[in-house]
Amino acid sequence: MTAPSCGRTVLIVEDDADTRLALAEVLQDVNYRPLHAANGAAALEELRAAATAPCVILLDVMMPIMDGKQFNAELQKDPALSEIPVVVLSAHADLDSAAQQMQVAGFLRKPVDLGALLATIEQFCGRE
Amino acid sequence: MENGPVQDELTALRASAELRTVTDTIRDYSIVLLDPQGVVLTWNTGARQIEGYAAEEIVGQGFDRLFTAEDRAAGRPQTFLTEALRTGRAQQEGWRVRSDGSRFWADEVISPLRVENGAAKGYVKVTRDLTRRRQNDEHWSEERTLLTVASVTDYAIFMVDPEGTITTWNLGAERAKGYRADEAIGRNFSMFYTPEDEAAGKPRRLLRRAQEEGRVEDEGWRVRKDGSRFWADVVISRVNDGNGKLIGYTKITRDLTERRRAEEHLRQAEERLHLMIESVQDCAIFMLDREGRVATWNRGAEHIKGYTAQEIVGQHFSRFYPPEEISAGKPERELEMASSTGRFEEEGWRIRKDGSRFWANVVLSATRNRDGVLIGFTKVTRDLSERKRAAEEMAERARQQSSAAELGLYALQTAQLDQVIERSMQTIRETLQIDDVRIFRAGESLPPGARTVRIHAPEPDAEYGFLAASASRPLTPNDVGFLQAIANVLAVAMARSQSEEQLRRAEREAAEERGNTVRVQEALLERDEFVSVAAHELRTPLTALQLKLQGLENSGGFPQPKAERLGAAVRQTERLARLIDRLLDVSRIAQGRVEMAPEIFDLAVLVRQVAEDFREPAAQARAALELQLPEKVEGSWDRLRIEQVLMNLLSNAVKYGAGKPITMKLEELDDVVRLSIADRGIGIAPDDVDRIFGRFQRAAPIRNYGGMGLGLYITRHIVEAHRGTISVASKLGEGSTFIVELPRLSATAAAGRDKVSRARA
Repeated sequence: MTAPSCGRTVLIVEDDADTRLALAEVLQDVNYRPLHAANGAAALEELRAAATAPCVILLDVMMPIMDGKQFNAELQKDPALSEIPVVVLSAHADLDSAAQQMQVAGFLRKPVDLGALLATIEQFCGRE
Repeated sequence: MENGPVQDELTALRASAELRTVTDTIRDYSIVLLDPQGVVLTWNTGARQIEGYAAEEIVGQGFDRLFTAEDRAAGRPQTFLTEALRTGRAQQEGWRVRSDGSRFWADEVISPLRVENGAAKGYVKVTRDLTRRRQNDEHWSEERTLLTVASVTDYAIFMVDPEGTITTWNLGAERAKGYRADEAIGRNFSMFYTPEDEAAGKPRRLLRRAQEEGRVEDEGWRVRKDGSRFWADVVISRVNDGNGKLIGYTKITRDLTERRRAEEHLRQAEERLHLMIESVQDCAIFMLDREGRVATWNRGAEHIKGYTAQEIVGQHFSRFYPPEEISAGKPERELEMASSTGRFEEEGWRIRKDGSRFWANVVLSATRNRDGVLIGFTKVTRDLSERKRAAEEMAERARQQSSAAELGLYALQTAQLDQVIERSMQTIRETLQIDDVRIFRAGESLPPGARTVRIHAPEPDAEYGFLAASASRPLTPNDVGFLQAIANVLAVAMARSQSEEQLRRAEREAAEERGNTVRVQEALLERDEFVSVAAHELRTPLTALQLKLQGLENSGGFPQPKAERLGAAVRQTERLARLIDRLLDVSRIAQGRVEMAPEIFDLAVLVRQVAEDFREPAAQARAALELQLPEKVEGSWDRLRIEQVLMNLLSNAVKYGAGKPITMKLEELDDVVRLSIADRGIGIAPDDVDRIFGRFQRAAPIRNYGGMGLGLYITRHIVEAHRGTISVASKLGEGSTFIVELPRLSATAAAGRDKVSRARA
């Protein structure tokens, strides 16, 4: 699923700075390399600027400028990026149908349990 | 005189000294011979006396000069002769004219003489002046005078000797008394008298008076040969010879029976008519003279017009007319029409003595005497005021009824009470021709002097108010009835308006009620929406907090008791996350947004799994978990929701049944799967049992569920969303058993929907 060269990199796309920072901290604690972006547009920039693609993208849904849905659509259009697995991280339990339409690799609901988060992330990075 | 033989005979007759003598002696009767053309041939003393002419003045003249100008113009003298010739005798009463032009009322008989071949050789005219009695001492001197009058049949003319013995007899005597000459002559004239008169010596007394006074006249009963009586006018005159010696008496008797009877009839008829006219009260019947002055007056006239006879007789009848008609010359015109056409009839206003008017039917008839001379008018007046008033009243009433009916129709078609009221007032003003009409509420003081009628309310003896009308004229019972009719229309309109007002109020209240409900619903939705948004918003900071705490805990290296404190903080953030989840569940249930995602799975496996998860908390609560499960219980349910149900029920059992064993049991009953979770804890009071599974009430504040936690509320709704049931059997102090029954195939229409894997806190 993932190129072996992803190097435990995780892209966090989250508009809330505290949540973004908290996610980055806990991932860093267990030796992941978190990258982060405050919205979909910034995330696309980050991805295109990066030398290597991340192992997984943690994607918030509701964000300003470019929300998760738009970001995912852009991602799927770009052949260089469309292979990167996306795990949606949402406060909305009812976004099942939205997540389904986005055809993402996983779905986590906020507030996310650290164990469940790490287990999910590890699925996409553990090979290395 | 051209007729030879007749002329001869008449000449002879005229020449007869005897005749002349006889007729000359008669002074109370004008006895005159006329030729066939009516020329006077002889002229006796009576004629001179009565008609005034000397013989030389009149003999040779036509007898028509003895008549009035009107009669002459009407050809009456000639008619008289013709009538005499036709019938053998003609009699007339009428005015005659003397030589001096004065008039006298005459009784005149003309008899034709010697009629041969339908022609008369002459006429005898006997005329009597009825205007006055004449005292006359003329005597009959010639016995043979009677011969002259032999042909006179209307008068019994005969002579008696000084003792009363009959000496001559004429045809008139034979006709009047029934005796032939041979039966009468030689007998005493007293036989013509009634026994009473004879016994009283009347015949002799009359002769004596005639002897003494020269003439006596008597009216009285006489007796015919057959014993019948007749009323007679008798004149007895003394007859002297040339030397003035009494030689007898002439007696002229006239049978007045017929006349007397006729007069009596006439008198009675007139009297009856008079009485009748007099007694008529309903009609004014009176006569006017030719100039229109009132000549007679009856009781009806007095009654209708108000004048007494004394006041009005002699007054001109125009005073019965209204001034405008008098000045228009109407009374005179009516007289003219009546006299030219005989009769005039009309209806119109007349004036009473007191000045009041009445509607009269008037018939004015010209009254003429038998000669056609207008002598005046008869006027019959009837007072039709009552009839006219009745007719007008009826018309008025019909008009009022029609107005009321129209108003009723209008009221039926018009819902607005104020319009009906306005139209009612207008109808009253126009129909009764009054300006002041008003409606007063019940209890308001009514204007004095107004006619008021009640506007009834539907309740007995109650009223909406009164209709009060003030008019300068007195209102009739009809008018008041009309007002009541209008008041009734108003009453109905008011009653209807009131009902409609009540209906509208009820509708308004119902609408407000609906509005309230909508607002309550909106408020509830708003609150649910708020809860939903708030829960999401809470999650964002909670996410950061929980990650940081868990991250710290995971990093380790904290000495006791700091590590323990950190663990408590982590548990509290996890609890906070669960509370937020429940809050969201409640919100979704309240908004009807519970979505089911059924899938086929083994419920027994799930129960074991949940029980395993609770092993630790149960152990801490010293509650042993006992499971009674079949090998496999498959069905189609929403796995995560059912898991939630199991967790809720088990956490309750651990919470309230601490220290006692807890039994979880699963049974299969045909299409239904029954799950029982029994504890032996504190139990639930019966009142609270009802409360925890009471029907869902939308308006019920969610905080009421707080005492029991949100778990049971959510549990119940998840079970019901699976078309299942949940119940509890409990006794205080003995524990509770919650029983959930789920249809094995509860699949709601969400089948076929792929699940997105979900991670739960």
